[in-house]
Amino acid sequence: MCENCSKSDLTLLNDVLKEFASVRGSLITILQKAQEIYGYLPVDVIYYLAEKTGNTPAKVMGVATFYTQFRLTPVGKNLIMLCKGTACHVNGADAVEKAICDYLEIKDGETSADGLFSLKTVACLGCCSLSPVMMINEDTYGSLTPQKAVEILTEIKAREEA
Amino acid sequence: MRIVIGEGSCGIAAGALKVHSAIDAFANSDIQIGITGCIGMCFLEPIVDIYEENELKARLVKVKESDAQNIVNAVKENNLSLVDYLKISDEDNSFLTQQTRIALRNCGIADPENIESYKEKGGYEALKKVLTSMTPEEVIEEIKTSGLAGRGGAGFPTWFKWNAARQSDGDEKYLICNADEGDPGAFMDRAVIESDPHNLIEGMLIAAYAIGAKYAYVYVRAEYPLAIVRLGKAIEDATKENLLGENILGTSFSCTLRIKAGAGAFVCGEETALIESLEGKRGMPRLKPPFPAQKGYENKPSNINNVETFANVPWIILNSGKAFASMGTETSKGTKVFALTGKIRRGGLVEIPMGLTLRDVIFNIGGGIRNNKKFKAVQLGGPSGGCIPEALLDTVIDYKALSATGAIMGSGGMVVMDEDTCMVNMARFFLDFTTKESCGKCVHCRIGTKRLFEILTRITDGKGKEGDIELLEELCDSVKSGALCGLGQTAPNPVLTTIKYFRNEYEAHINEGRCPAGECAALRKYVIDETKCRGCTLCAKKCPVNAISGSVKQAHKIDTNKCIKCGLCKSNCKFDAIEVK
Amino acid sequence: MNEKINITINGKAITADKGETILNIASANGIEIPNLCYLKHLSPYGACGMCVVEAKGSPKLLRACSAVAADGMEIETNSERAVKTRKAALELLMSDHDGDCKGPCTLNCPAHTDCQGYLAKIAENDMEGAVKIIKEKVPLPAAIGRVCPHPCETACRRTHVEEALSIAALKAFAADEVRKSGKSVLPEIKKNSGKSVGIIGGGPAGLSAAYYLAENGHKVTVYDKMPKMGGMLRYGIPEYRLPKAILDCEIEEIKSLGVDFRNNVMIGKDITLEEIRNSHDAVLIANGAWKSTAIRCKGEDLEGVFGGIDFLREVALGNKPEIGEKTAIVGGGNTAMDACRTAKRLGANEVSVIYRRTRNEMPAEDIEIEEATEEGVIFRFLTNPDEIIGENGKVKAVRLQVMELGEPDEKGRRSPVPVDGEFITLELDSIIIAAGQRNDSFGFEEMPVTKKGTIIADEKSFATSLDGVFAAGDCVNNGASIAIEAIAKANNAAKAINAYLNGVEVSFREPVLSEREVTKEMFEGKEKQSRVKMPTRPADERSKDFGEVNLGLTREEAINEAKRCLSCGCHDYGNCKLIKYADDYCVDCKKYAGENHPAFTETKLQVIERNQNKCILCSLCVRECEDTAKKGILGLVGRGFDTVIKPEFRDSEVIKDCVSCRKCVDACPTGSLRFIQK
Repeated sequence: MCENCSKSDLTLLNDVLKEFASVRGSLITILQKAQEIYGYLPVDVIYYLAEKTGNTPAKVMGVATFYTQFRLTPVGKNLIMLCKGTACHVNGADAVEKAICDYLEIKDGETSADGLFSLKTVACLGCCSLSPVMMINEDTYGSLTPQKAVEILTEIKAREEA
Repeated sequence: MRIVIGEGSCGIAAGALKVHSAIDAFANSDIQIGITGCIGMCFLEPIVDIYEENELKARLVKVKESDAQNIVNAVKENNLSLVDYLKISDEDNSFLTQQTRIALRNCGIADPENIESYKEKGGYEALKKVLTSMTPEEVIEEIKTSGLAGRGGAGFPTWFKWNAARQSDGDEKYLICNADEGDPGAFMDRAVIESDPHNLIEGMLIAAYAIGAKYAYVYVRAEYPLAIVRLGKAIEDATKENLLGENILGTSFSCTLRIKAGAGAFVCGEETALIESLEGKRGMPRLKPPFPAQKGYENKPSNINNVETFANVPWIILNSGKAFASMGTETSKGTKVFALTGKIRRGGLVEIPMGLTLRDVIFNIGGGIRNNKKFKAVQLGGPSGGCIPEALLDTVIDYKALSATGAIMGSGGMVVMDEDTCMVNMARFFLDFTTKESCGKCVHCRIGTKRLFEILTRITDGKGKEGDIELLEELCDSVKSGALCGLGQTAPNPVLTTIKYFRNEYEAHINEGRCPAGECAALRKYVIDETKCRGCTLCAKKCPVNAISGSVKQAHKIDTNKCIKCGLCKSNCKFDAIEVK
Repeated sequence: MNEKINITINGKAITADKGETILNIASANGIEIPNLCYLKHLSPYGACGMCVVEAKGSPKLLRACSAVAADGMEIETNSERAVKTRKAALELLMSDHDGDCKGPCTLNCPAHTDCQGYLAKIAENDMEGAVKIIKEKVPLPAAIGRVCPHPCETACRRTHVEEALSIAALKAFAADEVRKSGKSVLPEIKKNSGKSVGIIGGGPAGLSAAYYLAENGHKVTVYDKMPKMGGMLRYGIPEYRLPKAILDCEIEEIKSLGVDFRNNVMIGKDITLEEIRNSHDAVLIANGAWKSTAIRCKGEDLEGVFGGIDFLREVALGNKPEIGEKTAIVGGGNTAMDACRTAKRLGANEVSVIYRRTRNEMPAEDIEIEEATEEGVIFRFLTNPDEIIGENGKVKAVRLQVMELGEPDEKGRRSPVPVDGEFITLELDSIIIAAGQRNDSFGFEEMPVTKKGTIIADEKSFATSLDGVFAAGDCVNNGASIAIEAIAKANNAAKAINAYLNGVEVSFREPVLSEREVTKEMFEGKEKQSRVKMPTRPADERSKDFGEVNLGLTREEAINEAKRCLSCGCHDYGNCKLIKYADDYCVDCKKYAGENHPAFTETKLQVIERNQNKCILCSLCVRECEDTAKKGILGLVGRGFDTVIKPEFRDSEVIKDCVSCRKCVDACPTGSLRFIQK
């Protein structure tokens, strides 16, 4: 095994494989379920799934790196999905992004040093009337300003640290 | 009386769930509380409706948790004056009254999680009619009469595709619903699925019957979790009632419907890429021909339509193709749903008959530009579309007329921009999007969009060179004719239309080092208007790089060499004394 | 029988099987449609966008690889739109194709000698093979290897690691070895063309042209005013740098190709240009630049004042110019170095070099300056002759104006300016002015000349104002330069003349090539191997005679030095479809210059090296591996611009499933994949 291969508990995949392994064209679904289980797609999981679904690892990797939903590294405790759709862009999403990046000292796609936040910009969350919008985990925050975004993050941080 | 809370994604994002639980907390079990989907007035969310039987008694808008007690009391005491302060204004209500709703007819009215609610509105009657009294050919003929065209953007006649799939050899055929609504600034399909999932299911079943498909898939964007949940429940409920599955409603027609969640790739909105993705592969478009009608999913004949297209079908069957065709223009029939957003006063979902003008939609329904700013352009069709200037606002909404402007009808994104929007940066924004979303297969799109983006970036960074506009035009032309799929072929549209209508803005960036809209940071200059500055020192305190100097009660000054153009001074100034040049 | 359809392609009526693609029909009928991602046994893919063609009535271009021809189709494979679209595809690909078609040595060599090629042969101890490659461009390798200021070495990428390869010395080594073994590497002479060419001037340009024209079957006569052939190589380069016996051998080889040498024939005196024109089908003027440039200084007409090249020529002819005990050479170029070291060898006690700038600005080669210094030459920098002082009509002294360097000009070059009133007087017996050379148009009066007096010839076709008369080398346009430059021009002129004799007009064009932009950082971690040092005779010994200064390399030294080559040029240059098309379509590789995609080279497939920098993502390797080899080892990773092809993805592991079938390598249209021996 190579140095960046973790040792994941592969038995967690049993149910998923039972349901989908033999269903043609289910690779994406299987990867989605695997990511739900592990929070991301560890390398050994990808190899294991390749073996179990009859695909080559290159093929599974090709799919896993094609879609933005899949992550090959763990994410922070809170995933910030900042919408960069047209409406959000027109209403100042760039400034919000800059404020978040400055506050967390990270760039898009990175995780903050304390592991609390990961930032991912997304194409459109479809809440255009509330633009600019971000989702943190399951919650949506609309009509953002740079200040408001930082306040929200500060609040979550305080809650996490408490 | 019963209380109905609007719980589409927008409503929830605005706080509908909190309002709901607050109302729950005050209400006794004798008050009926229900939910509905999205009425489309996103600018007024959260919205709470009060019904007496099926009659809407009051529509309460921008409801907060703290209003819950008043609402409950109003219902309990049968005294709606208690919530007069929350009632929608006539002006805002005109947003709805000016619309004609077919695809959205149940949105914000029916309960999306309750099949009975759909049936009460005439749901599944069209399916019954089709299965019991029409041949597939008659269905296709009815759709042909209606003039319904693909609402995903291309505007291809729906009947033609159905017919091609029907005529194709093979007994295993597939029906696919494209719900991979990826255009940034468009959310029509999400609203339909979240608010009226049975309408989609019914439309699909009718199509499946027409082409002879036993299997149907809905390919939904991963970013629409609520839509997936509600559609899943609707499929379950419909299956229970034998509206899906084997021998539907006792006829020989069988059809199963499955949801496939996308995993984040805009290009999967392209039909052949969508098929690849459905098959569990990288979503890279295939060469056409063969077309999906001949060789689609699993190389079997397949038909793909967009959500909104299907959402019109039950209405057409019940009300006749002729009724549908009586709306619209010579070449574009029926209605079209738009997601009206941007710098608009009243943003949300708008369904109007074809043939209205852009001005009707933006100014009459949308109420014009927010904050008394000046209208600059409207962007139609997302990354594949274009920006239309004020001079062309009287263009009618019609596939042909819109294409003539260089934009397209598109799936329905309509983003309004005001004088503060830089059109070069707008083009750059879209190319940033297409560059990131390009699948990388063909050269013209993979490298071409990247290079377009780089050239646009250098222009907005103030590093544009003479000849860059011509270089953009030349490259756009080549990408359009050389790219493999629709994504690449249309990617240059935002650049070409902004050059066509706003060339002066490009020239100002390149030749004068100036961004007329004041949006491009590299070209922005912050200046304090001495006549307005009161010397409050707030800006100087907020400035992160100490670029502002001045004594108390004296006009301040910005050192432009130090200024990093963050805009904090401007957003903090209480006297509107800071200008962007 | 298959059902047939009738279509036209480029106006040609064609009957074809129904169901065939446009590409296959065209190819079966001898019409080539470019493509980069298509192989007949794989299904069409549609990535490259090269095979686009226009079909009458279709608003969109069709991809010929997949579009099935329909009866009645009218197809145009090279419509303006198709060509434009293809060209854009190539320009976009080249903007993201980070590779060197040819090594910088080759590109910087005026004659584009394939240095990497012959260095590889030397490294394999195949000296004949090396000389064969050299002679494709340079017919005088031993001579040029000794005298060339080697622009190839200046460009050598080894300079980013430690020092450039000793390319010129290796060239001379290979030629010497072959000569010493008694062999000659000669080209195969083509069938006699029945045409004849007269070449005026037997220097490097004239001899090179003679070599290549003779190779092409033409009868060549070389006219030269001097007693022997070789031109400046013989009469301008001192014996201690280039022993004439070596030059004689190489000239003899050229003669052996059937070239007729006529020495002591001067145009305008012994024969007229008109006469030469009348006796040949074409004429090449390559008579060089044989006059020393004056410096317009008082006293220049005194006895004891020599021109630099005049002085060297006299010595070469076996005469002993009277330079006395003390002499000075004016100038800082290679001719000045040759003159001062020659003066030393003639027995002058005190030899000075007068140069108005400093050592840093000297155009002469470093090694020449060093060796001159070792031999006792005195350098007087920042001085300039103000007046040559005479006595009885003979040089007695020179008054030197002291100079200083002024402010840098636009190019950053600092011009010397006089220091007011500061002068030095230097006692002298003679002075040699090596300040440049110019042309003599004597005998060519009917030809238009430039302000410099050089003959005007077209830069690309080498044609002059007279029909059938061509000109190349030092006597043309910009005037004198280094020998290899004259050879380069003569080679191209020979091609033009060959074409002219065959009745076609050829305009020379540099091929389109991909070139990398490199930084020092890219070479970090390369093992350092220092440059071989050419052994020389001790200064006090060599400065007393005209024997060769350099002692030459040993075979082992030469082989090891050749092995230092980084092989920058692409192994696949001759077969690369991408560059072939880029050249066909004359693309501008830098037009869309921008960010490049992630780059790496890896060898996880053990015997196959994958250089992602050159990959154009045609996916032929992926598809071959999956569809033909049934292995599926290679795959696309990532999306959009950042997509790369990787074998699986564990970066540190070797892929054991690969059976080295090489299908991927064979399918690759560029040099991205390479079979390597381990």
